Amino acid sequence: MKKRLTAVFITLALFCTLGISGCVTADPAANEEGRGITVAISSDTGTMDPAGSIALTYLAYSVSALDELLTYDESGEIEYRAAESYEVNDDSTVWTFHLREDALWSDGSPVTSADFLNTITRALDPASGSGYANYLFPIENAEAIYNGEADMSMLGVETPDDNTLVFHLSEPCVYFLDLLRLPVYTPSCSKYADSVDSGWDKDPDTSLANGPFRLAEYVPDQYFVLEKNEYYWNAEAIKLDTITYRFFDDTQSMANAYEAGEVDVATSLSSTVMEAYEGTEDLFVTDQIATRYIYMNLNVKPLDDVRVREAINLAIDREELCKIVGNDTEPTYNLVAKYMKDKSTGEYFVDEAEQPFEENIQRAQELLAQAGYPDGEGFPELTYNYPTLEMDSDTAQVIQEQLKENLNITINLEAQELQANYSTRYAGDFDLCRMNWTADFADPYTYLSMLLSNSTYNCSGINDPEYDAIVEKSNSEADPEKRSSLLHQAEQIAVGEQFYIIPLYAMKSVNLVDPDITGIRQIPASGALEYRYADISE
Amino acid sequence: MLGYTCKRILTGIFSLFVLITVTFFLVRLIPGSPFQQGGVSDQVVEAIEQEYGLHDPVFIQYISYIVNLLHGDLGISYQDPATRVTDIIARAWPVTASVGITALAVSVFLGTGAGIVKAVSRRRCVKEMISAAGMLSAGIPSFAAAILLLLVFSVKLKWLPASGLLSPAHYILPVTALSLYPSAMIARLTANALDGELKKEYVLFARAKGMGKWRTVLTHALKNAYLPVLNYVGPSSAALLTGSFVIESIFTIPGLGREFVGSITNRDYTLILGLTIFMGAVVIFVNLLTDLLCAWLDPQTRRAYREEKM
Repeated sequence: MKKRLTAVFITLALFCTLGISGCVTADPAANEEGRGITVAISSDTGTMDPAGSIALTYLAYSVSALDELLTYDESGEIEYRAAESYEVNDDSTVWTFHLREDALWSDGSPVTSADFLNTITRALDPASGSGYANYLFPIENAEAIYNGEADMSMLGVETPDDNTLVFHLSEPCVYFLDLLRLPVYTPSCSKYADSVDSGWDKDPDTSLANGPFRLAEYVPDQYFVLEKNEYYWNAEAIKLDTITYRFFDDTQSMANAYEAGEVDVATSLSSTVMEAYEGTEDLFVTDQIATRYIYMNLNVKPLDDVRVREAINLAIDREELCKIVGNDTEPTYNLVAKYMKDKSTGEYFVDEAEQPFEENIQRAQELLAQAGYPDGEGFPELTYNYPTLEMDSDTAQVIQEQLKENLNITINLEAQELQANYSTRYAGDFDLCRMNWTADFADPYTYLSMLLSNSTYNCSGINDPEYDAIVEKSNSEADPEKRSSLLHQAEQIAVGEQFYIIPLYAMKSVNLVDPDITGIRQIPASGALEYRYADISE
Repeated sequence: MLGYTCKRILTGIFSLFVLITVTFFLVRLIPGSPFQQGGVSDQVVEAIEQEYGLHDPVFIQYISYIVNLLHGDLGISYQDPATRVTDIIARAWPVTASVGITALAVSVFLGTGAGIVKAVSRRRCVKEMISAAGMLSAGIPSFAAAILLLLVFSVKLKWLPASGLLSPAHYILPVTALSLYPSAMIARLTANALDGELKKEYVLFARAKGMGKWRTVLTHALKNAYLPVLNYVGPSSAALLTGSFVIESIFTIPGLGREFVGSITNRDYTLILGLTIFMGAVVIFVNLLTDLLCAWLDPQTRRAYREEKM
């Protein structure tokens, strides 16, 4: 018996020694040579294939490793990357890009127009799972091909030679250049990038980059390392030798790892970090290009009455709401993100026009009375669906309280798990539903197009021909000033006249960055951080 | 004994089948789609779901899943079609198991040791101290202990790493957090059982014959006292082997628990099912092993099986 027990103990001990030695992976920071930074990012999800189903992992990777045709810098000027020039015809339907002749993939082979076409054709196959495929639909026949109604040979993309890429659009699209930063317009090397399920994207030998960094190592669920791409056309401008991304499950773990000195950058942390690091050099707060708002279902009575929608909008005190929810929020009265710039003027788009409406409790009460509900009498109880995130739960409670106090109407709260909330929203199965939209590209159209009658994001039953006409007209208006005025007009209709939505607040990103790191930039379109020109002092 | 083992294996397989069926249908009842990430257009989600066969009748999907399963194919992860579910399990389980087995070993050594000392020692202060430590360890939930350990040893003192499993030092905090509760339980069970044994006549007799105190305890009393402990260690080792989501999440350990919760959040149907099947199999197997081990260690039970057979 004694021997048996001893045997059990010894086996356990052996297992545990073997286990530990087998599962310890090399410390990514230990084999860093030269200048390197370690960035904490949210958990490992999705592929790194621009034509595949992408999430945060791709976004982190592509920012440093892939060059889009061109992008906009912080002042709104065009910064050419894979392309060196472009031309567009008069009605903005034919866009021709001339690729940089000295652009090379990280194995030394040239980047060609076929590599751009490679991503586009693969993304137009629903099997690849690309969530961005609909952004290819402005291209001639792209939508029909995606739906299996047309052949790939009919696609409106031409590659007359290795360095020329021509897009034929089915309708004028003046914001087409803004779309180019999206994954589906980013190249993937035709030599290896054959399908989303072959695994080429996470294998350093086949995952080629045309940007300043290339994939050097990928350890699933733990980290990936990017190292400087010596073949990059602008390699002299790149200071760092490596960027290591480590995956974390929650923001608290990221903040702990930063505090323990295990990472140099931790992004999108909770607002409590803002208080803890107040006044230190580590705290780096950036504006998110995003709006949090509430959809009101127009198919539900009495939300079909514009007076009711206006009353609800006017009765919410957004200043007070933001004070309670956290100091990483700021009141907004617009649909278009507060910090999205109008490239033609360099100003924030929403600051160019008057605030669409002013909060006014007395006026709200009058409107509600006019709609037949004096002092909220007879007003049916409405349900607000929102995800179980802390910020949304706090918001829901404040709004419930304010509407009860100011209008005497009852809002029932229904918290849902995030995915379940998405489903509810898409099914249009709600009275009031929380929505958050982070810009996909740097143009107000990304917001305003969501409320078009035929938009798949329009889940609250908005059907407004006047609004549709104005937004559609802005697509072909080449004069930036006239276009800007059309977009302002559209927003005023949606938010200040018809009150289709309840805008709540804009958010800030709370980041911690080692003060020794310089040169981190913010991508104007999404507000995310970019490390390609960063440097760290020894 | 062989008949009993076969019977247990067959019931195990049946339970697993019920588990697969229930999980398969429940997962599809949760609202949401594996391809809906908030910003994706409805039209695109529909097209992708169609492509992946998610619009087929659920029963047809179930049959094809079972057929693939019988061929040993757990499918691909919807999140990354290049990754097979079996690859994810093969990658995450060794990580979870290494932390779990280490925690188990630590709990068994510490728990048994403390239990013996508590039962044998005549000093009141020693007994009280072990009781108090046990109550404290069993009373603090592991996630609270984990956060506390992290704040003190990583964030404030910077003695130990806070995240990942990159070196043996990375094991110290998660293993400590995981083994607090089982150690306390094992100590209590050992002490109680041993206390009872030590009052029995054979112990007195051995002592009267001049056998040393520790030898009596370790060679005679402990083996009789250890069966209830083994009955506790079995199921709790199943829990340790399938991973604690909370601990894995706090210490950023790339194990099964973390994958499991991630797969549910992402509605990655194939991964949820694959992990459920795997964890179910581990639990069933460990329970079976515990029973067999108990029988092996206890001649009385072994005899009972033999008689049952006759």
